Amino acid sequence: MTDPDTELREVFHEDVTHRLDEMEAALLAIEAGDPGTGMIDSLFRNVHTIKGTAGMVGLGDVAAVAHAVEDVMAVVRDTGTFPPGLVDPLLHATGAVRGRVNGADMPVDGLLEELAGALTALRKAGSVAVKAGAETAPPGSADPRVPGSQQSPENRLSPGALEVPARAVPEVGRELPGPAVAAASRHIPEQRSVRVDPVKLDNLLDVIGEAVQDGRRLAHALGPEAELPTALSAALSAGVRTLEQLRDSAIRMRTLPLSAIAGPLPRAVRDFARSAGKDVTFTVAGADTELDRVILESLAEPLTHLLRNAVAHGIEAPADRERAGKSPHGNVELRAVPRGSLVEIVVADDGRGISPEVADRARHEGSLADVLAHAGYSTAGEVTQLAGRGVGLDAVKSYTHSLGGALEIRSQPGRGMEVILLLPLALAVMNVLLFERGKAVFGVPLAVVDEVVAVSKPSSMGGRLSLTVRGRPLPAADVALLLGGHAPPLRHLPRALIVAVLGRRIAVLCDALIGQEEVMVKPLGPLLAGAGYLGAAILSDGRIALLPEPAVLVRGRPDAVGQPGQPGQPGQPGQPGQPGQDRQPLDPPKILVAEDSFTVRELQRIILQTAGYQVVTAHDGTEALRIIGRDADIALVITDLEMPGLDGLELTRAIRGNPARAALPVVIVTSRGSQEDRRRGIEAGADAYMAKHNFDQHALLATVERLIGR
Amino acid sequence: MARNSSVGTYVRLRVAAEAYAVPVGQVLAIVGPGDLTAVPGAVPEILGVRRLRGQIVPVINLALVLGLNATAPSRQLLLAEADGVKAGFTIEEVTSVSELSAPLDGAESGFLLGVMVSDGEPLGVIDVARIIESLRRAGS
Repeated sequence: MTDPDTELREVFHEDVTHRLDEMEAALLAIEAGDPGTGMIDSLFRNVHTIKGTAGMVGLGDVAAVAHAVEDVMAVVRDTGTFPPGLVDPLLHATGAVRGRVNGADMPVDGLLEELAGALTALRKAGSVAVKAGAETAPPGSADPRVPGSQQSPENRLSPGALEVPARAVPEVGRELPGPAVAAASRHIPEQRSVRVDPVKLDNLLDVIGEAVQDGRRLAHALGPEAELPTALSAALSAGVRTLEQLRDSAIRMRTLPLSAIAGPLPRAVRDFARSAGKDVTFTVAGADTELDRVILESLAEPLTHLLRNAVAHGIEAPADRERAGKSPHGNVELRAVPRGSLVEIVVADDGRGISPEVADRARHEGSLADVLAHAGYSTAGEVTQLAGRGVGLDAVKSYTHSLGGALEIRSQPGRGMEVILLLPLALAVMNVLLFERGKAVFGVPLAVVDEVVAVSKPSSMGGRLSLTVRGRPLPAADVALLLGGHAPPLRHLPRALIVAVLGRRIAVLCDALIGQEEVMVKPLGPLLAGAGYLGAAILSDGRIALLPEPAVLVRGRPDAVGQPGQPGQPGQPGQPGQPGQDRQPLDPPKILVAEDSFTVRELQRIILQTAGYQVVTAHDGTEALRIIGRDADIALVITDLEMPGLDGLELTRAIRGNPARAALPVVIVTSRGSQEDRRRGIEAGADAYMAKHNFDQHALLATVERLIGR
Repeated sequence: MARNSSVGTYVRLRVAAEAYAVPVGQVLAIVGPGDLTAVPGAVPEILGVRRLRGQIVPVINLALVLGLNATAPSRQLLLAEADGVKAGFTIEEVTSVSELSAPLDGAESGFLLGVMVSDGEPLGVIDVARIIESLRRAGS
């Protein structure tokens, strides 16, 4: 993640993505018959720059496609005519380039043929348009005579022209006319930013968090505010307030606006609408709303899925809409609204909404989100080509939960639907429910707690506790036993948190409820990585609240279940390394994550642990190899490519070279997504290769599941 | 003890009434015991976690790791860092910081860099980094 090549590619990725966003916006505007002034120039400029920089970073195929698009745009610019049939081939090209810079394969030949065909058609019509259209056709006006699909083989680009080598780049300055250069350089407003290692930001947050605590402790030590001299009390509260502002600004340093990922969405919605035969207008509101960059990077995939659902399942066919008394034109909106320390991401449509049966079920069985997220449920009568595949709402729901957020759905039959993702503003901040057991404080993400009930009398059935909640029996367990610790007997009239995760529900018994609090989650570190916690939080009174993994609560520890009252057997003195827990077959698979970036490592750990896996982390290949050597339980390895010391490729080869572990599945997740990197990864023996650019946790979990065969 | 080129600076301390030393390069700080929060499910060598400068740091029962019977309560924590992992080790007290010659090899325990005799008393030199590494493997 530190070599100059990668840095260059990251910058390239950002720049090209931005340019593709602009190009697609321009193409969609032209298609909608609303070409703004200068759109054709801007298309030409953007594709020209993409061609140049793609050559620079060695993406010859991207350069070739950009070159072909540039040829087409040159004719368009010269003739001042943009036939509507051109939009499709150009969108195909921008889509393919986007996929390619994100690490996907790009079938370049068909694309170049399509562009060559468009160019030929354009030239033929162009000679007419220049003569006749010079006075009559304003730039960008529709010319239905030129369908983009026309192919004329004799005028195709020659095969040699398909491969624009990197050395074509130096021509850039020469080819580009003067005014366009000036325009290109002012085209992106100069927003100078500073690259900071996220670890440094986290350290800053730690220290600021401690300063906030110090302030509160000082206030506490000085006694009741009312008894303090006015000046002192004012100074104190001003200080505490400043520190809290400082903390908020530090948290905000980790954020980016929604617009950073919203660029490709209008294009995606257009494609969904086309393939579903719907007429849809898509709007984005609140694009400047900020979110944690790690969350933002993972958000694109679930958002695309929800938009696809809205178009395919929500919006009705134009004829059906008219029959229902609506405009034939459907509307889909993406909006982001800050809501305290959470951000509400809403995908809204004015389509058919839920069926009356589903509305009825939701009234009886709990929230609409629960009913709809029930795996495999679809609001459409039939499974369409678009939304029938891929992840369902259940995956979106578990995604929001894994980030400590929640999924809400509002809908009425015939009146459209709103799917609301409630996400934390910053990954480090989580809304938890705090409770006490013994003298200890614990917290669980609010999103996994269904409700809290007072327990009068848990009944015991066959040695296991159970509790009747709303007329239904639920397994119940003392949180101290679930976590494998010990505590004095439960207080009289304990409380039960109904925790639901991984499709299981359990009543977690504790002494008392403290309440809901927004906390900053701090890692417990590698020494406690296997102890079953998401992390811990420092409370305002200075106490530490441990945050157990929800999966551990519903599953319990293998050695705690069925042995109430018996703590894990103590290890032998002088032998660290004996956890004293017999691994039983019901243990979930154990995954090793090798990654030198703290943020990415933590993200992957939380995703995998929330999905119920055991996770071991290593910060480089050497450490990963050591762990694999001594822990026969490791069932899969997820590794970064670039790590100090032994890198991901070397690690993969070392695993493949060890007869005992040669069959261990290896997934490479990396910021290097080029064809060449992928090929090298697969050659080294990796089972799967995923790019961080479009890091998608559903795909990660699906890949893990497939390789482990769970 | 004859001084030679392999003299180093050590933090001398007591654990379970025995004398030990840690190379000063492995020590970040000596701090008070603080408020300990037990972590159910952790290996027995980890007593719990405590708050330290905004971070959460595991506290390790050094006597248990070394196979000793701790009788006196731990009054201080030796804070060490190895491989990016911070941890506190319970000790009775720090007795001094002094220069000592290189320890003899061939110590029995895997967690000692070696042993020596200083002021007529046997002195074990603790390898804090090895202990952290070992617990890291045990904990994951």
